Amino acid sequence: MRIEGVHQAYRGGPPVLAGVDLALEPGAPVVLAGGNGSGKSTLLRIVAGCAAPSAGRVHGRPRVVGFLPDRFPAQLRMPADVYLRHLAAIRRVTAEPELLEAFGFSGPRAEPMARLSKGNAQKVGLAQALGGGPGLVVLDEPWAGLDVAAAAVLRDRLTALEVPLLVTDHTGRAARIPGARHLRLVDGRVVADAPPAPSAPAVGAVAVVLRGPARTLHGLGVPARVEADRAHLSVPAAEVDALLRGALDLGCSVVSVTPA
Amino acid sequence: MTTLTTAVAVARYLLSDAVRSQRVIIPVVLQVAVLAVLFGGDPGPLPAPWAASALALYPVATWLALTVANTEDPVQRSVTVAAAGGPGPVAIGTLLVALLGDVLLSVLSVAWPLVATPYSAPPGTVLAGVLTHLAAAITGTGVGLLCARPVIRRIGWSLLTALIVVIVTAVQPWLPPVGSAVAAITDGRGPGSLLVPVLAACAVAGAGTWVSALVSRRG
Repeated sequence: MRIEGVHQAYRGGPPVLAGVDLALEPGAPVVLAGGNGSGKSTLLRIVAGCAAPSAGRVHGRPRVVGFLPDRFPAQLRMPADVYLRHLAAIRRVTAEPELLEAFGFSGPRAEPMARLSKGNAQKVGLAQALGGGPGLVVLDEPWAGLDVAAAAVLRDRLTALEVPLLVTDHTGRAARIPGARHLRLVDGRVVADAPPAPSAPAVGAVAVVLRGPARTLHGLGVPARVEADRAHLSVPAAEVDALLRGALDLGCSVVSVTPA
Repeated sequence: MTTLTTAVAVARYLLSDAVRSQRVIIPVVLQVAVLAVLFGGDPGPLPAPWAASALALYPVATWLALTVANTEDPVQRSVTVAAAGGPGPVAIGTLLVALLGDVLLSVLSVAWPLVATPYSAPPGTVLAGVLTHLAAAITGTGVGLLCARPVIRRIGWSLLTALIVVIVTAVQPWLPPVGSAVAAITDGRGPGSLLVPVLAACAVAGAGTWVSALVSRRG
């Protein structure tokens, strides 16, 4: 799937997008960063097919698109399960209400969606976007309002996804999706972006340096700073053994283990 | 064909939320109240009284279409548009729900005096009555879609614009669809003279749907 030369301008304003080119491929999730009002949501809406760009084209958008907007509103009067069934029918796929359980949905199942808390509404939004085997997944700030358990489930789901994925994220959790390409919207254009630095070392953390093919290092599933064939990690002391065992099993070799 | 399947799924979704909300009930109750007043005493021989009920149905259908089109929050609407693969099926689904309301209210309005008053009408006159109401209701649907989101985003402006359009177009007896349809039923002309108003009404509703999809796409 390709996005070519996409421009978007609103009346009386400067262009929000000024020539965005982007390729989306299965297994290569794109994490999009950018300041407030930099046009991330606009680009996502165009990629998802909600809006047409002023100029440029989107090629090869699959039939079934899973889209989660920034702040999923859930002001409807139907219950969450009914909503998921209707959305699946509109996509002509089978509904997957069990996704709600997977995300730890704790809201009332038979009451209007308008009564849901922010976190539970977000889980309904995720369930509709990821259910029914979409051919493209576009998520705008999917971690907003999620509890820790649901955030981990979401990361695992996105890691296992075998279709193109475009996601924006302010929480830094998208950095843990292995193999992700990090891009940034600056002045209406997409530029390469360094992944967010791994979070500050926790108390009792251990600095680990591993050597191996870059692909394997990206696939470790823990935040790491990868340089050429080296990965620099900071892991809690309690998890060092498990991490080293896993890394050795994947064919990496250990360069150093030092107190952080 | 797939567009229509998707549009029907969208219509079922919107209908499901509409029946749960009290907002669509208000225009329906309004029409029922108008019918009760119009046909409660002695309205006189048919079809002339149908002119008044058809004229009342015009703003009611406009309000109904406005309500159905504004069911979803704009962000919620963007999710539905992405799911439907574009704004086209969503606009058509909205139209289908509004048309369902048009048909039900038209049938109710025509049947009421036949059941509740001693006057009767031959089949040809009944058909003319149905076509008059459909012309008014479907025009109202078109006007409602043109005044609702995403074309007019603020509900205050939506209601004001719709009100002005309805008042201006309803009272011109030469102007199809509503003015000429009401004039035809008042004069007791046959169903044939209502063909043009009904077709014009469908054109207005089609234009409303098309403009709605187009504006939604501009997003």
